Amino acid sequence: MRDVIEGGDLQSTYNSHVKRIVVGLIVFVVLGFAGKKLLAPKSFGVYGHYRADAIEEAAAVDIRHGTNASCLSCHAFEAKIHLSGQHRTISCEFCHGTYADHAKDGKKIGTLPVKQNEEINTLCLRCHNRAIQARPEEVIKTIIMPAHLEDQKVKTTHFCNQCHHVHAPLRYINRAKRIVGIQETG
Amino acid sequence: MEAAHGGASYLISNYVFPNDLHVHWSMMIVLYPYLSGLVDGAFIVAALYYVFGVKSLKPIARFSLIFALSFLFCVGLPVMLHLGRPERNLNMLVTPSPSSAMAGGGYLFMVTLTVLLLLILFLYRAFLVTKQHESKGLKRLFYQVLTFGSDNVSEEALALDKKVIKFLAALGIPVATIFHGYVGFLFGGVKANPSWSTPLMPVIFLFSACVSGISGIILAYIVIKRIRKAPIDTACVRTLINTLFGFFILAFSFEMLEVFSHHYLRSGYHHMVQGLLNGPLFTSFWIWQVGICSFGPLLILGWLCLFRVKDSAFVIGSAVVSFILLLQVLFMRWNVIIGGQLMSKSARGYTEFHPEWFDKEGIIAVLVVMAVPFILLFILSRIFPLWVEEKNET
Amino acid sequence: MEQPESIFSGDRRQFIKKVLKGTIGGSLLLVLPAGAGNLEVPEQITGIRNRPWELSEQNFAFIVDITRCIGCGSCCVADKREFNVPDGHYRTWVERYLKDFDDAVYVDSPKGGLDGYQKPRTDIKKKIRDTFFVPKLCNMCQEPSCVQVCPVGATYRSPDGFVLVDSDRCVGCAYCIQACPYSARFLHPVTRTAEKCTWCYHRVRRGLLPACVSVCPTGARKFGDLNDPESEVTQILKGPGVITVLKKEMGNWPALYYKGLRREVV
Repeated sequence: MRDVIEGGDLQSTYNSHVKRIVVGLIVFVVLGFAGKKLLAPKSFGVYGHYRADAIEEAAAVDIRHGTNASCLSCHAFEAKIHLSGQHRTISCEFCHGTYADHAKDGKKIGTLPVKQNEEINTLCLRCHNRAIQARPEEVIKTIIMPAHLEDQKVKTTHFCNQCHHVHAPLRYINRAKRIVGIQETG
Repeated sequence: MEAAHGGASYLISNYVFPNDLHVHWSMMIVLYPYLSGLVDGAFIVAALYYVFGVKSLKPIARFSLIFALSFLFCVGLPVMLHLGRPERNLNMLVTPSPSSAMAGGGYLFMVTLTVLLLLILFLYRAFLVTKQHESKGLKRLFYQVLTFGSDNVSEEALALDKKVIKFLAALGIPVATIFHGYVGFLFGGVKANPSWSTPLMPVIFLFSACVSGISGIILAYIVIKRIRKAPIDTACVRTLINTLFGFFILAFSFEMLEVFSHHYLRSGYHHMVQGLLNGPLFTSFWIWQVGICSFGPLLILGWLCLFRVKDSAFVIGSAVVSFILLLQVLFMRWNVIIGGQLMSKSARGYTEFHPEWFDKEGIIAVLVVMAVPFILLFILSRIFPLWVEEKNET
Repeated sequence: MEQPESIFSGDRRQFIKKVLKGTIGGSLLLVLPAGAGNLEVPEQITGIRNRPWELSEQNFAFIVDITRCIGCGSCCVADKREFNVPDGHYRTWVERYLKDFDDAVYVDSPKGGLDGYQKPRTDIKKKIRDTFFVPKLCNMCQEPSCVQVCPVGATYRSPDGFVLVDSDRCVGCAYCIQACPYSARFLHPVTRTAEKCTWCYHRVRRGLLPACVSVCPTGARKFGDLNDPESEVTQILKGPGVITVLKKEMGNWPALYYKGLRREVV
């Protein structure tokens, strides 16, 4: 039995409000899911719960380091020396900076720094300092400063590159030994 | 000198992973479970009346719901302040990950808001219809919207309303439980953190949420009534205190069980948790959370519930214990969330947390976020009177 | 020491003459197509470039050889430069472990090893028996907990086995940072989105080694294609010898393998 109240500007049955709420909720849910589908990025869900386009975007990030081969392809003079020495496994870019700061599209866009004096000593000791103890002899030869300079009977204010060629550290050492007649240490 | 052995030997050098120095989940993330816990607890109080028929709670039944709603409207605030990209928050609704607890938050919030809001609108419908007839213009339209365009308050309509209220209140219990329970699981599901990854985490969060909700209701009720110089229904407060005692014993037992159980088992990275609780967290956990804010209330609640206490002393005691327990729950959230991040995943050291004053997650921001729900409560009380005797309706 | 043959014999003048005569141009795979500074250098991972990239067929391995790390920090420097990693955050880092005669272990990683390890620790009064270095990076888990907790699908494991971050989708909630057992992730202070080591996906796709692997002077970091039976990583993984992973009990099934890992490492 309906009890319709006529009055004012509303004509509601006893359950009008409930009906309106239920309809409203259903409309909201339907619109919500429609909106969700529309707003979701197009490539979402192709491989999994993520934007499939993101994979190619990640692959397209600019490269900043070249490789030693890319440096040596222009710097043939240094290449010859570097590849002949014990430092051939060291990255040019570690000491000098990245390819991306230096060349672009075949043109030079910047000058890379060359380490000098104390900077060279610091750089060498990063790897060759025996005080750190963790460096196996078969992997790398280490020395202690300033004992190394004293052993070689050299002034303790010397920088490493006054005896060692930075790109091929034993180059001059071996040449000196040949001149003096000592067996090459390889 | 004997060297430290076992787990303790790991902590000699205090080594923290380079990426672990910064605490990523700061005070806003402490506030989020605190606010949602208050919502859950307040709703449970209302449910005790509307679903389980605890008559003595009638005076604060509607108040609890409005209280819950004011806090529910604000739960999003700490989250938005925390997100690195808050403008992208809709991503959680558009592409929620089915494996992520956090993704459930947006939808659970909407469901909880719907249930709570509808419940309140149905409860107040007769009153709102009256207000609608008394108003003109925009105000009248406002009340029409709140009553869904219906001014039918016949017996049939009211009987239907009663059924809907019962249904919504009953539905609200699991809804509110899941709404706060998922927050507990948010932490419980992180295996990389030794103090978070426990199946008990949702349980602990839920019980302490009930503690904070009931305490919040008690304290707010007493304070508001005192400000308005209105009488306090002490039978209601006594029922609330008894309920609070029960929930707190459960919450505290689970919290202590968690600590003791790990201490006994000593598995995994337990040495980190032990070092944390006995080191950086000693003051805030053992002295504050457990000592002052747990044993203290246990004694006060024991006195209030097990002895004959005069009404006036009872009210003061209830306000004091509620305040301390609100602090206890805040400490618990802090110790779990921020404390848990102090442990580096290196299993060898602890980092430090330094709260900022003016950061978007800083102390000032925290105070503002805690104040907003009370401002909302005041505004809502102008639309939905908090107590029955202040309305001209049954 | 053998002298390298072919194109680099002779001095610079000779070299230029050879280029102009066109004998070298083709074999050098010199510089490149315009656009985005893309460059072509000789392939470091053989076979990648002469076939299309089938997402579901890739299988790469990253091996860290503890016995060869000298703590030079070249990898950290290269990584920072390749991605402009902000200060105080690290996509990769190197840890130093010191062990004394009572078996106590002291670990440190000053600036993540960015400056290398130039000086020994002066704060330990006990006599040190042993030291070693441990490089750390993303473990590229097969069941990543970071992917599991991401609420918006911003981090994912691609079909070719790389766990990557979609910076356009990330909301900066930092849940993935909490979930990673290896602390490989951080929140970028400028973009306010999550970031981590990607095993240089952008380089691998172009047939190049990850930057850290490319610059490592001792071969402590190795990367290769497991589909290639001749690759070094295949030889190591299929051969005898102990290969371990970090935090195996977490159940993430990391794809980063360690050779020569010590029991003190977490």
